[in-house]
Amino acid sequence: MTLTTSSITPNEPNTGPAPTAASSPKPTWLQSAKRYWQLWAMLLPAVIFVAIFSYGPMYGIQLAFRRFDITKGLTGGDWVGFAYFRQFFSNPQFWPIMRNTVVISLWTLVMGFIAPILLALLINQIHSRRVKGFVQTVTYMPHFISVVVIVSMINLFLTPSTGILTRALAVFGLHDVNLLGSTGAFPMLYWMSEVWQHVGWNSIIYLAALSSVDLALYEAAKIDGAGRLQLIRYVDLPTILPTAGILLILNMGHVLGVGFEKVYLMQNPLNLPASEVISTYTYKMGILQNQFSYSTAIGLFNMAINFVMLVVANQISKKVSDTSVF
Amino acid sequence: MSQTKLQPAAKVAKTQAMPLPHRRRGIYKTPGDWAVDIVIAALITAIVLMVLYPLWFLLIASVSNQNLVNTGKVVWWPKGWSTYGYEQIFKDSRIWTGYANTILYTVAGTALNLVVTLPAAFALSRRELKGRRIVMFFFTVTMFVSGGLIPTYLLYESLGLLDNWLVFVIPSAVNVYNLIIARSFFETSIPEELHDAAQIDGLSYFGYFIKIVVPLSSAIIAVIGLYYMVAHWNDFFTGLVYIQTTSKQPLQLVLRDILLSNQAMSGGNGSVDGAGYGQEFADSIKYGVIIVSTLPLLIVYPFIQKYFNKGVMIGAVKG
Amino acid sequence: MGTRHTTPIIAAICALPLVLSGCGAGQDANTDANGKPILNVTVTKHSLTKPLKDMNWPKALEKACDCTVKWSEVSSDWDTKKQAILASKKVPDVAISAFGDNDMATYGSLFLDLSQELDSMPNVKAMFQTDPKAKAVAETTDGKIYSLPADLQDLPQPKSNRRMYVNKQWLDKLGLKVPTTWDELYDVLEAFKTQDPNGNGKADEIPMDFAPIGTSGLGDGTPVHLLGSTGLPLTGTVYTQGIFVEDGKVKNYYEDTRYKQLIEFLNRLWKAGLISDKAFTQDYSQFQSVARGNGDEATVGFTWGSTIEDRFGAQLKSQYVSIDQLEAEAGQSAKKVWYLKEDAQRYLPGKLSISAKVANKEAALKFADAFYDPDVSIQARFGDMGTDVEKIGDKQYKVLPPSDSSKDSSTWAWTESLKENAPCWLQGKIEPSEEYKLRLEEDAPLADSYANQDPIKDQWPLEIKMNTADLNSISLNNSTILNTAVSNFGKWVTKGGVDAEWDSYVQTLKQANIEQNTEIYQKYYDAWLAKQ
Repeated sequence: MTLTTSSITPNEPNTGPAPTAASSPKPTWLQSAKRYWQLWAMLLPAVIFVAIFSYGPMYGIQLAFRRFDITKGLTGGDWVGFAYFRQFFSNPQFWPIMRNTVVISLWTLVMGFIAPILLALLINQIHSRRVKGFVQTVTYMPHFISVVVIVSMINLFLTPSTGILTRALAVFGLHDVNLLGSTGAFPMLYWMSEVWQHVGWNSIIYLAALSSVDLALYEAAKIDGAGRLQLIRYVDLPTILPTAGILLILNMGHVLGVGFEKVYLMQNPLNLPASEVISTYTYKMGILQNQFSYSTAIGLFNMAINFVMLVVANQISKKVSDTSVF
Repeated sequence: MSQTKLQPAAKVAKTQAMPLPHRRRGIYKTPGDWAVDIVIAALITAIVLMVLYPLWFLLIASVSNQNLVNTGKVVWWPKGWSTYGYEQIFKDSRIWTGYANTILYTVAGTALNLVVTLPAAFALSRRELKGRRIVMFFFTVTMFVSGGLIPTYLLYESLGLLDNWLVFVIPSAVNVYNLIIARSFFETSIPEELHDAAQIDGLSYFGYFIKIVVPLSSAIIAVIGLYYMVAHWNDFFTGLVYIQTTSKQPLQLVLRDILLSNQAMSGGNGSVDGAGYGQEFADSIKYGVIIVSTLPLLIVYPFIQKYFNKGVMIGAVKG
Repeated sequence: MGTRHTTPIIAAICALPLVLSGCGAGQDANTDANGKPILNVTVTKHSLTKPLKDMNWPKALEKACDCTVKWSEVSSDWDTKKQAILASKKVPDVAISAFGDNDMATYGSLFLDLSQELDSMPNVKAMFQTDPKAKAVAETTDGKIYSLPADLQDLPQPKSNRRMYVNKQWLDKLGLKVPTTWDELYDVLEAFKTQDPNGNGKADEIPMDFAPIGTSGLGDGTPVHLLGSTGLPLTGTVYTQGIFVEDGKVKNYYEDTRYKQLIEFLNRLWKAGLISDKAFTQDYSQFQSVARGNGDEATVGFTWGSTIEDRFGAQLKSQYVSIDQLEAEAGQSAKKVWYLKEDAQRYLPGKLSISAKVANKEAALKFADAFYDPDVSIQARFGDMGTDVEKIGDKQYKVLPPSDSSKDSSTWAWTESLKENAPCWLQGKIEPSEEYKLRLEEDAPLADSYANQDPIKDQWPLEIKMNTADLNSISLNNSTILNTAVSNFGKWVTKGGVDAEWDSYVQTLKQANIEQNTEIYQKYYDAWLAKQ
């Protein structure tokens, strides 16, 4: 910090390739690239890594349009066009799976977006540094519990008649509830446990954003007579809004992206009508049954929907709030 | 510029005259403030208890008799004291090589991540960079479109990354999500005035980035670093698919091995017989595993929290 | 965007190996420092199983092939890992217990056809000659052998891996007889529930409990075993898909009225509170733990499992007995049967395969053959000679009890050896462990029910292998069939309504091509039968 204030002295002569005044005519691509070569140089390593490791394997997508045949190599199978997509769309399970996926993921998306913001705002209200650190650490911990253990805890806590939550519900007059075996409760169990597990972790980014608030702002607002709620409303919230906007856009790109492992482990015969989602179906077909082309096609469909959602969210956000990813 | 539009807080800072609905004298707490304080304290307490109980449960379950845990008899205190799980975990020599490997992969991986991601994020945050939206799009696509496991495997093979520890470090050098978050931070939280001053000062982009942007961005660097670190720490999939040699396996894979054993036992093909006992032992390891694998991350966190403290920006904005 | 960039990317990909190959593994290193051939061997094993380097018997393998073995041991998520290995054609030189018949249907070309190599494998050749069924299990329809089976020829086998248990102590205390029909079972369970047989003054008895059903069909340890009460014969592993063979005809029980009858009975039990209220939602851990009771106080009255000790623990085992199959109705004409799994337990296919591109073929064949040596076989299955197995004479062995008394025999067995993952040919005179002998004893009450099942006409033959196209059709249809069947099973047992909804349910199954699956199975069965 001392570095920043002391190193900038307006008297030194302007050397180096940094752009001078903006008076020059509109630069061409080449001119622009030349002028900003340093920026491009900083960008280049990332571009190379992504080009190789993300774009490199993308040719594999054509598997969705070919009949996988190991003797002809990975992409040598016969071209079948959209046959595998039609197979998916005409599957009697298609609509139930889509419905389940969307319901579960929308709940998780909305609640998982709001909860960390609220938690960050709350934690930011704690004066004592020790208490604050404690609350942060405690809420951060669940993030590291593996899915297998989370699911077995859900099972233990909610198991009929002996689970601690089941017994707690009985105290409130709700007897004989079996949330584990209920189709209606499944999305709720899923998003609640997701929020429980990740709310602290996801609030970290907001806490970091809040740390960049100029303390003078609080002083100024207090002198203006602002109460606690007003400080939150007029100082804290605007500070985290840009970050929240970006995260919301990115989350919109996961509308069909309900993770596989947790749902799979939570499935049982009673909740199955509500708990079969795209990823579990793909797993059962692709990994367990060697149906490569088919699972690639489902994956591609998934990606396409997600990508469209992201672009739409991005464009809307760009218009409305000038926040955008690209 | 949209800079200020995106950051009303900064606007308030500059004008310092935004009228607020209620005008009261500064430092004294009003009854309303007291009420807010109480509500906040109550909410925080409730949240902490809600999070803490399951964590407590993990802890007591890890030292209890698993039959009692599984039948719902362990609620507040450990029952049927047993440290079998921990004994098994610490007896397993793979755990320690796993630990050493994971630390290596995490440190090397996170270092490369930051070195690659931060400059790129900075470059993308500069509005004068023509074509940055196209590059952004180029990056974003990869968050959704992936070629799948097999082509990736073939790629790694052709690069000599199979069964090579660099597979934990190199392919994951850039996480686009983190890149976007860092870029967004640079765009909104570093005042543009600083860049103007740096220009007058004759600093190049390199100089501006290293001397001014990085020191001012400790909060976001801490967050991104933490994100990357935890991703490396928790990564079992890379080890699972691309590593054959047992001695190169990361901690998480070793633990997952232990953890999944009870599922392997109940495997539906019916060929596994006499699985019950083994499952009981596997269960008692289940909870201990979480504690053993998470402890280092819990120790690291307070050090990272330090960087979220308020007031990082004061000196800069005034400069 | 992506396509335009591919060319430079591929160029970059081609350039990078030069940079990285210095630290890469898996190069052309086929011989070790001493000039001995190297074999890369992948073995899938249970996660309790100790590392192979801590066992003695694998040294015999290395000696036999005069080579250096690089073991790669996998014990979790093999299904995921396998996909990458197969599709990229990077199968290890030798794979143990790693690739099954379904993999061979699609990826057979990646593996060495061992039917041409039998002369280099005297032990395997002898096994196939002595026990032709082992060969039949290994062979594809066109006579190729891509993987070798384990053949437990002379190990005494129970005919099934699941039995039915009831708490005899409770029966005696309440003055009840072992039930023989569904109605009697109902009465017994009701008495268990209401008359406090464990005598602790609490109504904590769980009259009936069963294994978690999962989402891909009714499996071992679930009430599916009661289908045999109606004379419906189940076999092998195909039964989880509903497939069974009855008098030479392939059928699917998910659309069979006897299955409906079973659901009605289970619903009657559920309504009376005689089935554990956790039965459909508990996981395997909970399911196992609850049967262990509290100390010497049992909680479960009637259930299924593999052995009494495994299911109820050492403290409670004396309270339980295994019982014969029930009859659905007293004096019914249909003969009750019990799930027959003898062949599937004696012959375990897919235990060893060799890559078609193996560099040191001679060594690999010797290595593979060494597994089928009598001494190696017994150790691969049960553990090291001296600690786990005692050699009494030529081809005479005794399996020893755990040398670590803190471990029970089952955990011990999984720790000490590859157990069911071992390629082996068990021959000679083998005296199994005490725990294993109990299995045979527990099987005794079921003798009549086993006898009622015709080994040819009522059994799905283990050796049938299907082609990829048929397997794909079956699994595609099954995704809908099993989803429908399992979720309706749960619903009907807990909420009732099977009577009203049965017809539309069967209609749904028909739309999901259940008939097509049955026809495919029938086609293979007929072809098999013609050869007998």
